This record gives sequence, structure tokens and C-alpha cells, in this order.
Amino acid sequence: MPQLRDSGTRTLHATEPVPSAEMDGFCRIFGVETEYGVAVTGVEKPVDAGQVAMTMFQPIVSRSRSTNTYLTNGSRLYLDVGSHPEYATAEARAPHEALAQDLAGERVMRGLALKAQTRLRETYGEHATVHVFKNNVDSAGHAFGCHENYLVRRFVPLEAVEHQLLPFLITRQLYTGAGRITPDGFQITQRADFLDEAISSATTRSRPMVNTRDEPHADPDAFRRLHVIIGDSNRSQWATWMKLVVTHLVLCVIEEAFRRGKPSGFEDWAFIDPASANRAVSRFLDAPDAALTLASGETVSALALQRRYFHAVALFVADHREAMDAAFAVSTSMMKHATDVATDSPTAVILGEWDRVLQALEAHDYEALADRVDWAAKRRVFEALRRRRPDVTAIQLEQLELDYHDVANGHLYDSLVSRGQLHQLMTRDEVERAVHEAPQDTRAALRGRFVEAALASGAQFSADWTHLTVTAPERREAILLDPFSAEATAEFEHLMAILGR
Amino acid sequence: MPQQFEQPQSQTQETHEDDVLAQSAPQSADQSQDQSDVLDDILNDIESTLETNAEEYVNSFVQKGGE
Repeated sequence: MPQLRDSGTRTLHATEPVPSAEMDGFCRIFGVETEYGVAVTGVEKPVDAGQVAMTMFQPIVSRSRSTNTYLTNGSRLYLDVGSHPEYATAEARAPHEALAQDLAGERVMRGLALKAQTRLRETYGEHATVHVFKNNVDSAGHAFGCHENYLVRRFVPLEAVEHQLLPFLITRQLYTGAGRITPDGFQITQRADFLDEAISSATTRSRPMVNTRDEPHADPDAFRRLHVIIGDSNRSQWATWMKLVVTHLVLCVIEEAFRRGKPSGFEDWAFIDPASANRAVSRFLDAPDAALTLASGETVSALALQRRYFHAVALFVADHREAMDAAFAVSTSMMKHATDVATDSPTAVILGEWDRVLQALEAHDYEALADRVDWAAKRRVFEALRRRRPDVTAIQLEQLELDYHDVANGHLYDSLVSRGQLHQLMTRDEVERAVHEAPQDTRAALRGRFVEAALASGAQFSADWTHLTVTAPERREAILLDPFSAEATAEFEHLMAILGR
Repeated sequence: MPQQFEQPQSQTQETHEDDVLAQSAPQSADQSQDQSDVLDDILNDIESTLETNAEEYVNSFVQKGGE
């Protein structure tokens, strides 16, 4: 059952950390790690997913001598256990920047898949088709993840995450769930039936909803990195953005409460049984008003609990909007779109979207959500298909549901977008830029410059989130402990000089 | 949400929020087109997907698990 322990890597960073300038306000570092599933159809002889994934990573291996690398946009691309291609976005201060990075990951995966497909056709026939699924469950019931990372001020204890944030994360799936056809019927989430523990330090052994493995990739005395596992992979751009921004707002309330030593208002909202509450939320369409029991003994529906969070956050924002907007506004890339920043409030926009989506759910108007909520978009198409072809089989619907998640050769998602049926937050050009360019206001900017210089000079290099290393001809390292800082250090400049920059 | 910043920012906050939502309405589709017509077009787009072997397609996707 729930484990609460700091499995520390604190001694790892032996160098004296420089206190981040960002401790006081509402700034945050956002990241999204997405595992993709791989399959191939139309082959003349059998080929397993592992081989397809290895073929996809052939160009990476010949470039980096490894299936684990960092790209010029600062993100990490690697082949995870179980032959899952995985992409972890570079550190972003602005949620829409994290979204752009995540979409860049889709594009990178698509490029690798189509190249692999060309190669595989030489051996497996001209109809071999590679599928790369941005989803969370395969046909045999193996689950895999889309993990969100939030840098959280360390004075927030793990108990608060479990008791105050988890009920929000469970019920937020009403509008961030990707939906899935299951033996139990259509559920609004992909993963609810695969998560059993509330909080744990492991992810592969057990299936927690929030992981506490303590790898902040930042000053460990100032921050922890909250690793949220409960979320689905989203195709809807709005859904990816929404899960980041609303979770951020709730975290702001919790952080400020501990900073001031005052209650957040979320203290009594923990579920008595988070895993069963999670499964009930996933079956929302069967029983929208299902009563969930809180540890206090009170019962409440998932939607009513979301509404409580909304009201509490709205009250908080009324007092802190300027500071909260400022945390977003430091992002230069967000500023460059602004014609008049003074009249603009990103926080108010988020609250507006949140309110409207809850209103639609309260009115049982799921059609109104179909242009932004993944499960509602799928459900709308499935129902239309059933009307047109009453003989459509369960397996055909399952195929269509997988097709929606296929970033390499899928049709349904692209059709919805090209016909204006899914809200787009990013232009193609913005996504294309994010494939090559790192966010300019975080440590990722330095990593991006380093990778680009290393590749151009042909030097051997390695990297992780806090280290940049040239391994040959001369070993030299730069440590970047503050994820908020894009400022080049002397160490970094020396590294770049070795690379001829 | 980048689009929100491409708009003139002279409105009050409330109409600004309305604008954001207005932008979320279908843009590239013919506005006068009935929603059911759009759904018909989408079903036509995916017709070829449904003609492939659904059984093979679904069962081909087996991973070893991750995370």
C-alpha cells in the first residue's frame, strides 16, 4: 500500500547548489515523458515489435552509439524497457512550451517510424506499415505511461501531495482522459484499471499514481520533482495543455499554504480508497453521479469534487493573479505573441476553460467537449459510425480507437483536425520550430546549444538533465543545477570553446 | 495558448475569454456545414481503415510493458 519515502539521490549533487532565484514566486518547470507503443501490419513474414523499435532507432545509434540521446531542442529520446520509444520534453517554464515540445516528440517519432518503414519493406514486403501509438495500453493489456513532471518547492511534504493533490488528479480525468474501449465498455481513461497504489517510489514493479522517486534534477534542498503517473497520453493539444495548467494552479495553492503555514482548503478531500475512486471516475459515463467516499466519511461525486477544486482555486487566483500571471509572463516566447501584455491574464484564461468544461459535464453535454476532450472526440465518432453501420464489430471499433493514437500512419485524428473538429493550440510551424529549438528561458537552451555544437564538431559527448560532458578528445564537464537558468556559466563556455564555439 | 496572444488585446477580460473560446470553434470547416455532414466526411475518411483486417491490426500490437 502507499509508501511514503524519499528514496534519496541527494548526495549525488555534491557541488554547492546556487539558490534558485525562483523559490518565492509561482514559477515552475514543466515536463512530459511519453512512452510510445510500436506495431507493424501488412508484413509477409512475422517481425516483432522489438525489431521494429530497433530499426526506428538505427539512425540514433549510428549518431550517438546508444539508444539514449538528447536532441538539439534539449529533449531526451530513448528506447525504454519493453521496446518503447520514449520522448521526454526539455524543461519548460510555460505549459504551452511543454506542449510544443511534446508535439515535437510526436513529429520525431513519426519521422523515425516512416524511415524504419521504408527499410522494413525491403525485407517484409511493400505493404509493411509501422504504427506508433501515443496511447497507454496494448491489445494484450500491457500498460505504459505518459508521465508529467512538475518542479515543486520542497517545503511541500509528500503527505500533502497524497491527501490534497491526488483527489484532484483522479477527478481531473473527467476532461483529460483519453478514453478506451475495454471489456467493461467504453471508459473515459486508458489507465485506471492498471493503477493500484496511490503513491510509491517504484513504477515498473507496482503501479502508483504519483511517483516519489527523489530525482529533482535541481537543487535538492529547494525543490522536489513531482512525477505524476496517473495521466493518459493525449492527442488533443488542449488536453495536454489543460492537464499541465490546471495541475499547476492547484499546486500553487498547496505551495502557498505551506509557505504561509495556513490551510489550503483541500485537507479533507482525500479519498478513502484512491484506486477504487480512480476506477469509478473512469466509468463516469455509466454512473456520472457515483458517490465516492472521502476519508472524512463524506460522499461526493467526482464532478462535484472538481467543482470544489475549481472554486477554491478561483478564490485563490482572485488574491494572487498578478503574481501567478507573472510566473507565466517571464516566458519570452509567450511574450512575443503579446501585443498588450497588461490586459492579458493567462491565469484567467485557464479558469475560463476549466469552468466551461465543468459546466458541459454538469449539463451532460458531452458533444460540447468533443472538440477538445479526447474521450469525447472518440465517443462522438464511434456513435456516428454505429448509426451508419449498425453491423460494425467491437474489434473494428478497437482498431479505430488505436488508429486515433497512431502518430505514424493513423487517419482518424488527422481527419478530425483537417476538418476543424479538434481545437488546435499550435501551428505546424510552431511545432516544427520546437523539433529543432529548445525553450530559450530554461537550462534546456544551454543543453540544446551544446548538443548542436557537439554534433557539428563530431566530438563524442554525453548528457543528462544536469550534466553536459565532452568525452573525447578531452574529457570536460559542465554541471547545470538550476533548471530555471539559461545563463551560460564559465564551465559551459569552456565546454563550448572545446567544441569550437 | 499562443492564438490568444495573436488577437488584439483591447477587449475587457471577459470578452477576451469569450474570444479564446470562439477560436476553439471549427475554423477550417465550412461554418455553415451541418455537424452531421462533417461527421459523414470523417467517416468517409476512415472508411479505408475499416476495410483492413481489424483482427490482425489489433492483435499485432503487443508490447512487453514499460514504465
